[in-house]
Amino acid sequence: MSTEQQVSWSDSFSQAQTAIQSLATILPAVPPPVSASNTPAIALLTDPDLAAQISNHLRQPDSGAGDNQLCRWLYDTFHTSKSDLQLVVLRFLPIIAGVYLSRIPHRKPLAGFEAVLLAIYAHETTSRNGQATTINIPDLSNPSIYHETTKHHPYRNNSTELNPVVVSPGLEPQGTIRSTKRARIIGVALELYHSRIVDMPVKSKLDFCEFCVIWAGQNGDFYRDFPNIGEIDDEIEDGKGENGELSKEKMEGRVLLPWEMLQPILRILGHCLMGINKKSKENVELYEAACCASRSLYARALHDINPKAILAIGSLLKLVKFSSLCVDHTELPVTNVINL
Amino acid sequence: MSGEASSSQVGETEERKICANGGCVQTETIEAKLDAGNFDQAESALREGLSLNSEEARALLGRLEYQRGNVEAALRVFEGIDLQAAIQRLQSCSTEKISKKGRAGPQQGANLVLEAIYLKTKSLQKLNRVNDAAEECKKVLDGVEKIFPQGIPDVFVETKLQETISRAVELLPELWKQAGCYHEAISSYRRTLLSQWNLDNECCARIQNKFAVFLLYSGVEAVTPSTAAHVDGTYVPKNNLEEAILLLMICMRKFSLGKAKWDPTVIEHLTFALSLCSQTPVLAKQIEEVTPGVIHRVDLWKTLALCFNGDGERKPAFDLLKKALHPHERPDDITSLLLASKICSEEGLLAAQGIEYAQRAVNNCKKRNKHLEGVCLRVLGLCLGKQASVSASDHERSRLQSEALKSLDEAVGLEPENLDLIFELAIQYAMQRNLNNALRLAKKYIDATGGSMLRGWRLLALILSAQQRFQEAEVVTDAALDETAKWDQGPLLRMKAKLRISQSRHLDAIETYRHLLALIQAQKKSYGPLQSTHQIEDDRVNEYEVWQGLANLYSSLSRWKDAEICLGKARAIIECSSETLHTEGTIYQRRGEIDDALAAYVNALLVEPNYVPSKISIGSIMSSRGLPMLPVARTLLSDALRLEPTNRMAWLHLGFVHKLDGRLSDAIDSFQAASMLEESDPIESFNSIL
Repeated sequence: MSTEQQVSWSDSFSQAQTAIQSLATILPAVPPPVSASNTPAIALLTDPDLAAQISNHLRQPDSGAGDNQLCRWLYDTFHTSKSDLQLVVLRFLPIIAGVYLSRIPHRKPLAGFEAVLLAIYAHETTSRNGQATTINIPDLSNPSIYHETTKHHPYRNNSTELNPVVVSPGLEPQGTIRSTKRARIIGVALELYHSRIVDMPVKSKLDFCEFCVIWAGQNGDFYRDFPNIGEIDDEIEDGKGENGELSKEKMEGRVLLPWEMLQPILRILGHCLMGINKKSKENVELYEAACCASRSLYARALHDINPKAILAIGSLLKLVKFSSLCVDHTELPVTNVINL
Repeated sequence: MSGEASSSQVGETEERKICANGGCVQTETIEAKLDAGNFDQAESALREGLSLNSEEARALLGRLEYQRGNVEAALRVFEGIDLQAAIQRLQSCSTEKISKKGRAGPQQGANLVLEAIYLKTKSLQKLNRVNDAAEECKKVLDGVEKIFPQGIPDVFVETKLQETISRAVELLPELWKQAGCYHEAISSYRRTLLSQWNLDNECCARIQNKFAVFLLYSGVEAVTPSTAAHVDGTYVPKNNLEEAILLLMICMRKFSLGKAKWDPTVIEHLTFALSLCSQTPVLAKQIEEVTPGVIHRVDLWKTLALCFNGDGERKPAFDLLKKALHPHERPDDITSLLLASKICSEEGLLAAQGIEYAQRAVNNCKKRNKHLEGVCLRVLGLCLGKQASVSASDHERSRLQSEALKSLDEAVGLEPENLDLIFELAIQYAMQRNLNNALRLAKKYIDATGGSMLRGWRLLALILSAQQRFQEAEVVTDAALDETAKWDQGPLLRMKAKLRISQSRHLDAIETYRHLLALIQAQKKSYGPLQSTHQIEDDRVNEYEVWQGLANLYSSLSRWKDAEICLGKARAIIECSSETLHTEGTIYQRRGEIDDALAAYVNALLVEPNYVPSKISIGSIMSSRGLPMLPVARTLLSDALRLEPTNRMAWLHLGFVHKLDGRLSDAIDSFQAASMLEESDPIESFNSIL
C-alpha cells in the first residue's frame, strides 16, 4: 500500500469515526458494534439496529425540517465526498424521498430533506458534468463484437451513423428545489442510488419497494397470476374492510409518477426482481416485496394509461411468471445406459 | 438433451448399464459394491470390465455417485483423482493424435477427465461451496484450452466432449455470479461469447440471454470489452444497456432465422430495456420480425399498439387496437379498450368511436377489473367532452357536455386521489365556462401536486384570465415562473405577454416577448440534437409563435413596419401559414386597404379551410358591403360558430348582420352571447394545455 493510499484510508476512517460520533449526539444510542467497529463506514451502512433507529427517526412527523439534526448529519456525511459514506446516505434515500413526497401536499417544512436531495443531485450533476446520459441503439446490419454480418455495407461502416438516444437528459445546477423540478431531482437521486445498488443493503431495497406500493397508491393483488387477471373474491374484499386504515394510508401516499421518476424506479425494481441471487433468505423476502411493488405499479400504469410503463412493468411481471418454469441446462442428463 | 434421455428410456429396455471399449457392465452391480463400501472392488470391476485405466474408472464411479444424488460421496471420489496430471497427459498426446484422426482413445479419456472435473464443480455447487466450484469450473475451461491450444477441432462438434465443454462454459459465469464475484462473471461471459468454443446456436443464445440479463439488472457496471482483437468498423457496445440490447437483438435474430428455439424471456427483457429508453419504435420493429404464430396475434397487435402509442403515434396504434377489439378477437380486453378510448379522446374525429369503446370498458370492468372502473369512466368522460367540442348542434353539445361532467364526476368519486382526474375535470368545467368550479379544482390540483406540474399553473392562470382577473393571473404566472427552471419558462412567458396585452400594457408585453425570444435563441444554441427527443419538448414554445404574437401586437399598435419585420421572421420559419396570412390581412384592413385584406384572408382560408379568424374577418367585411352581401356574411359567420361555438367575435359580427337584416331579436341574442363570452374568454384556449 502506498503512503498516499494509506493517508486516504486513514482519512476516510477518521471521517467515518467523526460521523459516528456526531450521530451519537442525535440518536438515543448508537449500537456498540458500530462505535467499536474497525470498519466504521461499513458498520454505518450495514448495522441493522442503527438503520432501524435512523429510519424510525426519518419517519417522525417533524423529521424533514430545516433544523433537523439528522438531516444535517446526512447532508454533512454526503458532503465528506467519501464514496463509502455517501453510500450510507444513499442507503436512506428511499425513506427520505418517500416521506418527503408524501408530505408535499401537507405543506410541512421540508428544507432538511430538500438539502439532502439537492446535495445528491448536485453531486450527480458535477460528476456527469451536466451531460445527458445517452446510449446507441445497436443496428444488427453492422457487425459487432458478438456477431458478423454476411452483407457488406461499405457506406456505413463507422459509428457516425449511430443514433444516440437520451436515457437521462442533461442536468442543470439547482440551488433550491423548484416544485416543477422536484420529480427530476428525486429521479436523478434514484439514478445514483441505482448505480450503487450492488452495495446496497437489502433492507434499503425493501424500503424502496414499500414506497413503490405507496406511491403507486394501487392494490396490485389482481395481477398475482399475471397475465391472467385474478377474480376479486369476497375474501380480499373483506380483508380490505379489516385493514381499512392501512389501505387508506396507502391511498394518501399516492403521488404523480412522471417518467423522469418512473424510469429510475423501474430500473431499481428490475434489479430487485432479476438482478439478485434468489438463493439467500433475505433476498427471497426482497423478491416478494419487489413482485408486490411491480403489481401495484402495473395497476397504476393502467390507471394512468401509460403505454411505456404498461410495456415495461408488464414484461417484468411476465418474467416473474417465466422464472418459475426455468430449466437448468448445466445439469447432466440422467440416462440408463452410459456410453463412453 | 432431455430428448435424448427420454428416447433412450422409451426405446431401450429398463436395463441400466455402462458400455465402453466394447465391454459392458451392469450399473447395479457397481452400485451394489459402492453401497457395500467396496470402492476398490467397484473400481477394479470397471477397469477390467471396460478396459479402463484407474483414473477413468474413478471418474466413472464419481459420475455414478453424482447421478444417484450422493454428492458428497461423488466429491470424495473426484478429489481422489489427480486431474491436473491427467490433463497434462492429454495435452501431450492430443497434439499428435487428435489432430490427425480423432478417434476413440484419447478423446474418450479427455471426455472422462473433463467430465469428472465438471461434475466435481457441480457437486461443489450443490454443496454450496460456490467459490470452489467456480475455481474448478475454470480448470475445465483452462484444461480445454491447454488440450486444444488451436481451438476445438470441428470433429468434436457432435461429441460428448463438446457437451461437457458447453455445459462448463455455461456454468462458469453463473457460479461467479452466485459467489458474488461479478467482475469474474463478466469476464467469463465475455470469454465464452468472444472465443471459439464451438457452442451450438441454442446454447450460445441462452448464454447471450443470461449475460444480457446480468448486464441489465445486476447493477454492476461492466467495463467496455477490449477492442484490441477486433476489426475496425465493428460495433463495440460502450455500456451495459447497449451491450444488453445488442445481445438480446442477436438472440431475436437467431430465433427468427430458426437457428435457436424461441425463448419468450428474450423479448420481455428487450421490451423492458427498450421501453426504459423510450425506444418503443425500435421494439415494434423487433416484434414485427418475430416469426408469425409465435406470439398470439392479438397479443402482438396489443403490444405493437402500446409501442406506437408510447411514441405518440396514435393512428397506427389505433388501427391495431381496432383489429384487436374486433368481435371475433378479444372485444373485451380492458387494456386495449382503455388504450383505444384514450387515443380517441385526443382526436375529434375518433371521439364517437371512443365513446363506444369506453362504454364497453365501463360495462366490462364491473365483472373483472373492478379497480379500473374509475379509469373507464374517466376515458368515457374525456371522449364525451371531445365529442361535445366537435358536435354540430347546440342541443347535442350540451347533452354531451353534461354527460362528460357526470362521467368524470363519478370517476372522481371512485378515485378521489387521482390527480390527473382532478385536472381533467377542471379543464372540462373550464371549457364549459363553469369557471368557479374550474377554479376550485385547479387550486386543488396545484395544492395536491405541490405545484410540481407546469400545466396546473397554466390552467389556473387561464381560468383567472377568463374571469378577467388579469392581474391575479399575472401573479400566478410569476409564481409559476419562480417554480420553473429557466429552460422551461417558455409557455409561461408567452402567457405573461398575452396577459399584459389584455391589460393594455403593450410595451411591457413587448418586453416579455423579447425575453421569450432571448430564451428561444439560447435554447437553440445550447440544446444539441440530443435534447429534442425528450418529453420537455412538448412544453417548448416555438419561435414562429412568438414572431406571430409580436406581429399581432405591433399591428394592434399600428406599428406597421415592426409588424412587417416580425411577419417576415415568421414567414422564414413557416412559409405559408393561415395565421401569418391572417395577420397580414388585419394590417391591410386597419390601413383601409380592404381589397388586399380580403385577398389575404381568402388566401388564409385556402391554406386552411377551417381557419376561423379569417372566416369572421371576411364575414365582417361582407356585412359592410350592403344588403346583397349579407347572406354571404351570415353563412361565413355561422360556419365559424359551428367550428368554434364560443367565439365571441363571431357572435358579435353575426349580431351586426342580424341587425342590418332587420332581425332585431336575433341580433339581441347574438350580442348577448358575445358580451357574455367576453367575460369568460381565456387568453389562450383551454385546449392548449391538454
